[in-house]
Amino acid sequence: MLITIAWRNIWRSRTRSLVVMAAIVIGIWALAFMISFSLGMARSYVSSAIENSLSHLQAHHPQFGADAEARYYLDVPIELQEEVRKLPEVQNTTARTLLTGMLTTGKSPRGIQIRGIDPAGEAAVTRLNEKIVAGAYLSDDNRRQILIGERLAQKMGAKIRSKVVLTFQDVHGNITAGAFRVGGLFNTGNRPFDEGTVFVDRRELNELFGPADAAHEMAIYLRDPETLADAQRRVQQELADAKVENYRELSPDVLLYESQIQTSATIFIVIIMLALLFGIINTMLMAVLERYHELGMLMAIGMNKGRVFAMIVLETLLLSGAGSLPGLLLGWLTVTRLQHTGIDLSSFSQSMEQFGLSQMVYPSLNADMYLQLAAAVVVTALAGAIYPAWKAIRLRPVEAIGH
Amino acid sequence: MSQPVIIAQNVGKVYNPDKIPVVALESVDLAVEAGEFTAIVGPSGSGKTTLLNIIGGLDRATSGKVSVGGHDITGLSDNELIDFRREHIGFVFQAYNLIPVLTARENTEFVMLLQGKARAEREARTRELLQAVGLAEQMNKRPSEMSGGQQQRVAVARALASKPAFVLADEPTANLDSASAANLLDIMVRLNQEEGVTFIFSTHDQRVIDRARRVVTLDDGRIIRDEKR
Repeated sequence: MLITIAWRNIWRSRTRSLVVMAAIVIGIWALAFMISFSLGMARSYVSSAIENSLSHLQAHHPQFGADAEARYYLDVPIELQEEVRKLPEVQNTTARTLLTGMLTTGKSPRGIQIRGIDPAGEAAVTRLNEKIVAGAYLSDDNRRQILIGERLAQKMGAKIRSKVVLTFQDVHGNITAGAFRVGGLFNTGNRPFDEGTVFVDRRELNELFGPADAAHEMAIYLRDPETLADAQRRVQQELADAKVENYRELSPDVLLYESQIQTSATIFIVIIMLALLFGIINTMLMAVLERYHELGMLMAIGMNKGRVFAMIVLETLLLSGAGSLPGLLLGWLTVTRLQHTGIDLSSFSQSMEQFGLSQMVYPSLNADMYLQLAAAVVVTALAGAIYPAWKAIRLRPVEAIGH
Repeated sequence: MSQPVIIAQNVGKVYNPDKIPVVALESVDLAVEAGEFTAIVGPSGSGKTTLLNIIGGLDRATSGKVSVGGHDITGLSDNELIDFRREHIGFVFQAYNLIPVLTARENTEFVMLLQGKARAEREARTRELLQAVGLAEQMNKRPSEMSGGQQQRVAVARALASKPAFVLADEPTANLDSASAANLLDIMVRLNQEEGVTFIFSTHDQRVIDRARRVVTLDDGRIIRDEKR
C-alpha cells in the first residue's frame, strides 16, 4: 500500500513530476553520452598509441631507458622473435632498430627518429602498410627505400622517388650516413608521430649501424589486451636479458589520459547529480509542504514516523526511478547506435591529429558504467529525500490537521 | 454500570505558557463510558476541539491526566501516542481527511494495513464497514469522485476499521448539507445502538446535539454542564 500511495502521489502534480523526470532523463542521457564519448576518445588515443608506436608490450635493453642510447641494443635473431610469437597471448611481434638522426633533402635537414623495421612484422603489428597514402610499402624487391610521413614530405619538399640522406651515429659512435629513396608516404593520423618518424628496412639500417641482428626494441602485439599482465610476465621469462614493459609503463601519458577520463566522468556525474539533487529536494519539499495537512492526518490515524519517512523516501525513489530508467534506456540506445556508426570529427581533424586522436570516435559504455549511473541516481534520490522526509516527520499532527 | 473508557482528571491546557498564555482548558474532569453517544458543545473558543485532541492523544495536556481504556497516555512519547491512536482510537474530522489517492475501499483498509492485519480479515471488514455506511457500491471510487456526505461516511468506516475503543468526531457534520448530515447521524446512531460503538463529538450542530444521549457543555475551558438523557 505504501508503494501504491507513493506512486499515486507522484502523479498528483503531474506537470511538476514530469518536469523533474525530464530533467533526470536529460541528465542521465547527457552523462551516458558524455562519458561514452570521453571513453571513446580515450580508447582512440590509447589504441592509436598502441597501434602506431607502442604495441602492448615492448622489450628493450635494460639500460636503453629514456635516453634511447643506440649502444644499448638487444640481439634479436629471427629465432628469438619466433619463440615469443609462439606464446599463446601473443598475436605478433616485430623488432625495430631505433636511431636518432637527421633527414636531409635537397631543401633542408630535420631531426627525426629513424625506425629500422622488419616490413612484414611491422605490417602485422602496427598495420603500417595500410597507412601508406602514396607510393608503396617497403618490400624486398626495392632496396634502400624509405617511408616518410605525408606532412613531413610536404614540409621538406620530398616526393615519391626523391633521394634523401639519413645521418646518424653507428654503434661505435661514429657519424655515418646513407642515401635512401622515398618509396612511400604514410599518414597514421597522429601528426607529431608522422612529422618526426621515418621507416627503413632494419637489415639495411643495421648494415650502416653495425650488428646485423641488432634491435633496440621488440614490440609485441597481444591477441587480448586483458591478458596484458600475464603476457608481460611470460615474455619477460622468454627475454631474460631484456626489460619488458607494457604500454602504460612506457607511456605514462596514456595512463594519465585514461585516469583523467575516469576523473572527468566522476566530475560530470557529480555536477549533474548535484543539479538533480537540488531539483529533487525542491520538488519533494513542495510535495511535503502541500500535503502538510494530509501528513498530519496520516500520523493522527496511526501512521508512525518511520512509515511517513519511508513513504517520502519511496516517493522520491519512484520519481527518480521513473526518470532514470528512460534516461538510461535513451542513453543506451544512443551509445549503442554511435558505437557502430561512430562520430565523425573530421572537421576538427587538424587538432585531433595533433593530440594523436583519430577522426572517428566510437563512444562506448560498459555495463559497469550504466550501473554506476543508476547507483548515482539512487544515492542522489536518497540524499534528496532526507530533508523533505525529515521535515514531514517533524510536523505535529494536531497543528497539521488544523493547518 | 460499565467501566469508563476515557477518564480525564483535572486536565488543563495553556497555549504559549512562556509568552502570552492562553488558557484553553482548566481543571476539566470527564469520564466517558463504553457505548456512550456524547456531544461536547460550547461556543467557539470554549475548548471543545482542544479537549477532543487531548482525549485523542493528538495534543498534550499542560496539567492533569488522561487515561484511555485503563492506560495513562499522558506520559507517552510521540511515537507511542501514534501507535496508541492506531490501536485504540478512531477519528472523524470535519474536513473528511481521506487519502485522496486511495479509493474508498483502500482508505477504509488503510489503518488495518498499518495494524498488520491479514488480507482476508482486512477485505472482509472493509466490505462489512462500507456496507454498514451504505457505500458498498462506491468502494472503488476515489474521494474526488464522491460527495461530501459519502466521503464523511468513508471516514466513519475508516475510523471503525481498527475496532477502536471509541471514535472521536470533530464537527463531523459541519461541511454537510442537511440530508447528508441526517444520513451520517443515522448511521452513527445505528452503529452506536447496534454495535455499541462509543462516539464522542465536538459540535455546534443542533441536529447532532438533539440525537446525543449525553451533552457536555464547555465554556471558557471549563465544563459548565454535563447532561445525560
